[in-house]
Amino acid sequence: MNTEPDKPTGHDEARRNFLKQSSLLTAFTFVPGPVVQAASGELDEKVAAAFEKVTLKLDVNGVKHKLSVEPRTTLLDLLREQLHLTGTKKGCDYGQCGACTVHVDGQRVNSCLSFAVMHEGKKITTIEGLADGDKLHPMQEAFVKHDGFQCGYCTPGQIMSAVACVREGHAGSEAEIREYMSGNICRCGAYSNIVAAIQEVKDGGQKV
Amino acid sequence: MNQFQYVRPTKRQAAIDAVAKDTTAKFIAGGTNLVDLMKRGIMTPQKLVDINRLPLTKIERENNGLRIGALALNSTVADDKQVREKQPLLSLALNAGASAQLRNMATVGGNMLQRTRCSYFYDLAMPCNKREPGTGCGALEGVNRMHAIFGFSDKCIAVHPSDMSVALVALDATVQVSGPRGNRSIPFADFHRLPGDTPEKDTNLEPGELITAVVVPDGPFTKHVHYQKVRERASYAFALLSVAAALDIDGNNTIKAARLAMGGVAHKPWRLTAAEQALVGKPATEDTFRQAAIVAMQGAKAFKYNAYKLKLGPNTIVQALKTAAAA
Amino acid sequence: MKEQAQDKQIGAPMNRVDGRLKVTGAAKYSAEYEIPGITYAVLVGSTITKGRLTSIDTRAAERAPGVLAVITHFNSPKVPGFDTAGKDPSQPATVGGPLKIFKDDLIRFNDQPIALVVADSWERARFAARLVKAQYAKEKHQTNLEANAAQAFLPTSAKKNPKSPMADYQRGQVDAYKTGAIKLESEYVIPTEVHHPMELQSITAHWEAPDRLTLYDKTQGTLATRRDFAREWNLPEENVKVIATFVGGAFGNALHSWPHESAAIIAAKVVNRPVKLMLTREQMFTMVGYRPYTWQKLGMSATPDGKITAITHESIGQTSTYEEFTESTLAQTRMMYQSPNVTTRYRLAALDIGSPIWMRGPGEATGAFALESAMDEMAHLLNLDPLEFRLRNYTDQDPEKNKPWSTKFLKECYQLGAERVGWNKRQLKPGSLRDGDWLIGYGMGVGTFGAHRGAATVGAQLLPNGTVLLQCATTDIGPGTGTVMTQIAAETLGLSPQKITFDLGKSSYPKAGTQGGSSTVNSVGPAVQEACLALKDKLRGIAASSNAAFASAKKEDVTLTDGYLTVGGNAATRVAYADLLRQPEAATAVTVEAKPGPEGQKYSMYSFSVHFAEVRVHQLTGEVRVSKLVSCADAGTIVNEKTAGNQMKGGAVGGIGMALMEHATIDDRFGRYVTKDFADYHVPVHADSPDVQVAFVNQPDPHVNALGTKGIGEIAIIGVAPAIANAIFNATGKRIRELPITPDKLI
Repeated sequence: MNTEPDKPTGHDEARRNFLKQSSLLTAFTFVPGPVVQAASGELDEKVAAAFEKVTLKLDVNGVKHKLSVEPRTTLLDLLREQLHLTGTKKGCDYGQCGACTVHVDGQRVNSCLSFAVMHEGKKITTIEGLADGDKLHPMQEAFVKHDGFQCGYCTPGQIMSAVACVREGHAGSEAEIREYMSGNICRCGAYSNIVAAIQEVKDGGQKV
Repeated sequence: MNQFQYVRPTKRQAAIDAVAKDTTAKFIAGGTNLVDLMKRGIMTPQKLVDINRLPLTKIERENNGLRIGALALNSTVADDKQVREKQPLLSLALNAGASAQLRNMATVGGNMLQRTRCSYFYDLAMPCNKREPGTGCGALEGVNRMHAIFGFSDKCIAVHPSDMSVALVALDATVQVSGPRGNRSIPFADFHRLPGDTPEKDTNLEPGELITAVVVPDGPFTKHVHYQKVRERASYAFALLSVAAALDIDGNNTIKAARLAMGGVAHKPWRLTAAEQALVGKPATEDTFRQAAIVAMQGAKAFKYNAYKLKLGPNTIVQALKTAAAA
Repeated sequence: MKEQAQDKQIGAPMNRVDGRLKVTGAAKYSAEYEIPGITYAVLVGSTITKGRLTSIDTRAAERAPGVLAVITHFNSPKVPGFDTAGKDPSQPATVGGPLKIFKDDLIRFNDQPIALVVADSWERARFAARLVKAQYAKEKHQTNLEANAAQAFLPTSAKKNPKSPMADYQRGQVDAYKTGAIKLESEYVIPTEVHHPMELQSITAHWEAPDRLTLYDKTQGTLATRRDFAREWNLPEENVKVIATFVGGAFGNALHSWPHESAAIIAAKVVNRPVKLMLTREQMFTMVGYRPYTWQKLGMSATPDGKITAITHESIGQTSTYEEFTESTLAQTRMMYQSPNVTTRYRLAALDIGSPIWMRGPGEATGAFALESAMDEMAHLLNLDPLEFRLRNYTDQDPEKNKPWSTKFLKECYQLGAERVGWNKRQLKPGSLRDGDWLIGYGMGVGTFGAHRGAATVGAQLLPNGTVLLQCATTDIGPGTGTVMTQIAAETLGLSPQKITFDLGKSSYPKAGTQGGSSTVNSVGPAVQEACLALKDKLRGIAASSNAAFASAKKEDVTLTDGYLTVGGNAATRVAYADLLRQPEAATAVTVEAKPGPEGQKYSMYSFSVHFAEVRVHQLTGEVRVSKLVSCADAGTIVNEKTAGNQMKGGAVGGIGMALMEHATIDDRFGRYVTKDFADYHVPVHADSPDVQVAFVNQPDPHVNALGTKGIGEIAIIGVAPAIANAIFNATGKRIRELPITPDKLI
């Protein structure tokens, strides 16, 4: 890891100046009139952008990335907008639906609720990294076979969560699966079929 | 979301200094609540101090108790062998909260520091004294279905959303903190605050203080425990109301010791010591539990939409105690 | 894999043709297209409910890093179609019209979009959106239906046309229940419910030329969307391309063109770059419709031996002040049961809130909650089993239209469902069954929805590789449209499904209606059939020139197999595709429109369902668990039991949501929702769902279309909520008439 301990990453005096300047700019007094618009963009945005970004190393689906990101960029937005891995879905952006579920160092998490920079040096697995080349992961196969989806939007999150559920040992019974999968909402309501898919994978004893 | 400065110290003191010296700075651990609040503009720290690389994740024995590092994940603690053996109530409460994914992110320290889920707190366009002191309490005369029946003030009737904290207050846990002025321990019951005139303050942490661990003393509550959470759906929802119950019952079915606390009823996890006393020495029967529940509810007061809690409260206490006794 | 043509593709539980794309994350939804120069747009909503915008300060937002434009009504380019008078036929049958974004300074509902910030990233657009500050002149608003019930009015469509389904209906005597021997009168309320598909409403708008617009949009109708936005910009329809290959659920909320779509198109014009706009979950409550809050009153009378003598059903649904939204809340009451006297009165209350839009089982799901609860109440009054009570009032022909049913196998559904749920365990006396602190009860609810069919056109072409390509502008919001159309084509052509590609979701494809009202298979299915038959005939014609056997063959007898065309599979007659394809390309392609015939004049066509629930209610905490849910449907031919069953299960889960947890609540003082996301607005999770059991009668309806289908999507949810409410009554003796049935109502 290249993180310098106890020091801001990628920030310097110029950035602090920028922050001061921008907070001044936002502190307008209200001017009457129908609309108040900026006369011109006086800031050099490119300069500003450079100060706002930090470097980040991530392993995503076995591919090592060296990235430059704003600290406020979530892992979800990084995956979808910068890496174009749109299999990871945005369903609420508040950790309330599970559509954004990915594995970080093997653990399932909501990628919408963490900043990408917090994952420096970690291994991220998304739905795009689950299959072995053309060969689907057993959980993907089971979802197809049991029709564990309708619109398909929550599906990547369901599958990532389902794989983790089995790996964690929380797929011991139908009731346990339902409880430990409750962080993944399917508005189409394909729950019965999803549970059947997970049970089949669990009972099949394949390596997940 | 506003831009912020991001630092990731690896030493505790550096982290504390970073927050103590900058009133706009916040610690971030799991981020499951802070990131959410920042997205909505409810919290706008200018600096985030990522403490995830601090060595605060251990769960270990300490002086007749379990010392749980502040950065231990909720899922790790819930599934930990020692926790399940010594403090099964804590495990149950943790697993009643959030989802498997969120429990894989959320830390013990962060769980305690969750902000309220009050709708008015969550909406920048509505009044809320907690978010913006002096703007008024939107919930007081509003849709207060989820709100407090104990310990509220006319400034704030919000409730604390943590399940884990309900178990920890019942179990007489202690919060260990490090701050600019050194280390100190805070009894769990004194960690969270009642709203009073300063609802903007959720806890008694001083600026720059970092939670380092929670210590749960060993007790006799290894068997007869239950966490009863009543919510609008079967899982993955905040409590309408919850009860943490722990009993020590002897061979004659007499209650030797009892612990009882409620969630979803106050600005802090609500310990029911009078009801505990009403249980001790009595037979572990439904009648005893009903009597204790009546004691527990003394002083409760409802608002327009949460009067059901006056009945749901005692019922849930009885159910929790019955289940605990039968465990 | 061996590709073998099966005789029966229709009815086979085939896996979805797009399953692999969905499980690998490769399926692309409307905010996921990589387009060079893409920009990001975030809407800013009003914080008042009614009044005028007096000013907007956008300076800080405009100066924020990465911001390309801040659009408000003060600076928005003129949208030419906004000034065109007249009603848009693609919109719901309403008076008024959709909100015209950034057109004026009027605030009509809280969170109405007042500004759009476009930036070069989501982060920057979202940050800048918070910097936009508005000033308002506030007016007093109304957001409470009960408080405005006295001002409820007959919909304009009913005033204009007394035969409108929204008009007052009468058979027999008016309000005859009031003088009935045994009678009841109950009021029911369903709260505002929100569709909340998992995909946030998204659009990517791209002006490929000043007069050519491409939209990647979440829509249930590519052609309706094309027409709406072609009209807004005065463009020929062919200049607008709408792409909705994958739609992440909709449940009705993409049946309407919404202001955020217009906003993205305006923004793409302003910044001259493609613009991607994705609503937040909060905005999904306010900007893309909902199932309207509805008050209902139902009066019913019956004879002591259980014959209904009269029903009066009244309802008041909410709509917006600028658009009159209506739905068929009272339809089921007019035709489901044999009652000589039926009165229905439908009214609207216009509130300062965004427009509603049809949500799964629109109207009927709301109405069925009242009707089917009242049926249960009356059965209880009569001390009759609710199933027996329904059988005594069964209709063998449509009592509203006085026409025979095209088909009706509801009795068969009753029987199937009753057996599966264990109806014989149900006790007449509520509160009779328990398991410790859990009270157990059984309930049923019936659903129905018109078997609608519209015109649809499908293109079919034999390709040089021996596969057949079909195309249609229909969408697939989740039911598996592409899959069942592939099956229909496979069976009609005698070709294996692997050799068929069914392309959908593009406005440039042959015409189809919107995916709504359970009508897609009814409409597009026959078009696929007819296109395949026409293709066979065309190929037969070509083959006839080289092979005499084809000259006399009927098109139905022509078979496509691996590489060859034959008559009835006779190898002696075979003609290689390679020979056929020597013809110019068009010769192997057909485009065929299929339309409903006159059968609708002769028959009353409906799908039917019945739902049986077993619930457990905790007597101390009031928690409800649906322990069994059995849904049985008479939906005509089932093309694919796997996908159809899934749709039924999904409707049942939606019904659990309606019954037990869904309620969008407004604080009327502010006119703002206090339920803003999935933490406040609960939809069912895994743990709320039992293993839903589904059974189909699977009898073809020969009158709706040649396939025999009737439609599934709506009847899957209609009647589920009352089944659960009735089961709760049976468990507890508590009759809850206001949804959802949360624990506080049961303790």
